[in-house]
Amino acid sequence: MNAFKYFSINKKRNNWLKVLIGVAALIFLLVIINFFVSPIKNYFYTLSAPIQKNFWSAGGSSSNFLGSLLNAGSLAKENEDLKNENQKLLSQIASLQSIEQGNQAQSAISISCQNNEFQFVMAGVVGLDDNDIVSINKGSADGISEGMPVVNQQNVLFGKIFKVYKNFSKVILISNKNSVINVKIQQSQDSTDPEVDGIIKGNGGLTAYLDLIPIDSNINSGDVLVTSAIEKLFPKDLLVGKILQKEKNDQKPFQQAQVSLFFNVKATDNLFVITNYKQIK
Amino acid sequence: MWKKLLVIILLFYLFALLQNSFLAHFGLFGAVPNLVFILFFILAFFSARGGPAFSWEDFFYAAAAGFFLDVFSYTYLGPSIILLIIIGLVFKKIQSLLKNKEDKYPFIYFLFLFLISFLVYSLFFSLYLYLLEPGKIPMNFGIKAIFSTIYNLFIASIFFFIYKKFNEKGLQN
Repeated sequence: MNAFKYFSINKKRNNWLKVLIGVAALIFLLVIINFFVSPIKNYFYTLSAPIQKNFWSAGGSSSNFLGSLLNAGSLAKENEDLKNENQKLLSQIASLQSIEQGNQAQSAISISCQNNEFQFVMAGVVGLDDNDIVSINKGSADGISEGMPVVNQQNVLFGKIFKVYKNFSKVILISNKNSVINVKIQQSQDSTDPEVDGIIKGNGGLTAYLDLIPIDSNINSGDVLVTSAIEKLFPKDLLVGKILQKEKNDQKPFQQAQVSLFFNVKATDNLFVITNYKQIK
Repeated sequence: MWKKLLVIILLFYLFALLQNSFLAHFGLFGAVPNLVFILFFILAFFSARGGPAFSWEDFFYAAAAGFFLDVFSYTYLGPSIILLIIIGLVFKKIQSLLKNKEDKYPFIYFLFLFLISFLVYSLFFSLYLYLLEPGKIPMNFGIKAIFSTIYNLFIASIFFFIYKKFNEKGLQN
């Protein structure tokens, strides 16, 4: 009986020993593998990039097709809204043509970029994960490094480079929950109020909100937000988004607002990384 | 056997590519289906019930799924592998305790076990990312996690019935 008991205990000990050896071997293997994490990941991304790019484009087309099917009922209303908006825009164009300042404001962004002599590296979008992080198919071999700003061809800010591998990089979007950027509000042409500064905080799910607007500042729906470059992370005057609805509470020291970001990751195939901003600042 | 394992590796790879590119366009409130996790769970759920608590086959599924999840994330290689092995071990233990004579693979068990496993995986992986880069990665365990769980549960249920159908056909043949 005692012999059986000892045998049983020994068998249990042996099992535990096997598990412990297995766990130790696994951890050891993972530690070793992680010394080569960059080349391993780079190899997989390089191998997968062409397929992933096709999947990305196919996903965009399918999503647009499904979206148009689902929204078929609201097309008539949308058409009517667009007609109204078009008329409004035509009248605005007429007034803007007579205002030289208006023209200057329109070209300010492109001029600022030209003046700063930014160098861009074009990269294809190949993936997006649920932490608002985009994968692009260019990496350190193309001169990309961490912290570089990422925009599209219209100078709409997407985010900054977060991780760099040899042939691909990860871009953390401004909608990531831990993203905070300084912005200034370009108010409408007829506004006489002074310029207002605030911050855009990422909200996850490709959304963000405006915060830290002084309670006495006048902000309106439709006001355009551009980067202010106070923190020197991004060049100034990159387009960020526009105010949808302000949330003013007199008991709070600051105003907040819902924001519609200008970027549309899902409809974007190519992005531009500004590679020499850090050197310029 | 080797053929089966090779096909499964290729499926994990394909699913990892799909969930990072194609399916990113079909996110609900920022949540995207985790096809790799779903496939791992389906394989573990249907693998030799009543057999060893955690076989080498289950270990292989966990390691392969974890590897592809980690390769396409921005983190080190390992956290998903370890998490999936632990989940697989615990899941197999629970599965061996659940008895049902009429149906070998009841859907209600699947729903319950998937829900627990997915929540555990999401919580610990999110915690790991947060601890790894507290200034950059948020602790994603709020409303988004609920949407993500419901979304994944829905997709996993579809996979369950498809796999069950194939499994039954395979057994009949």
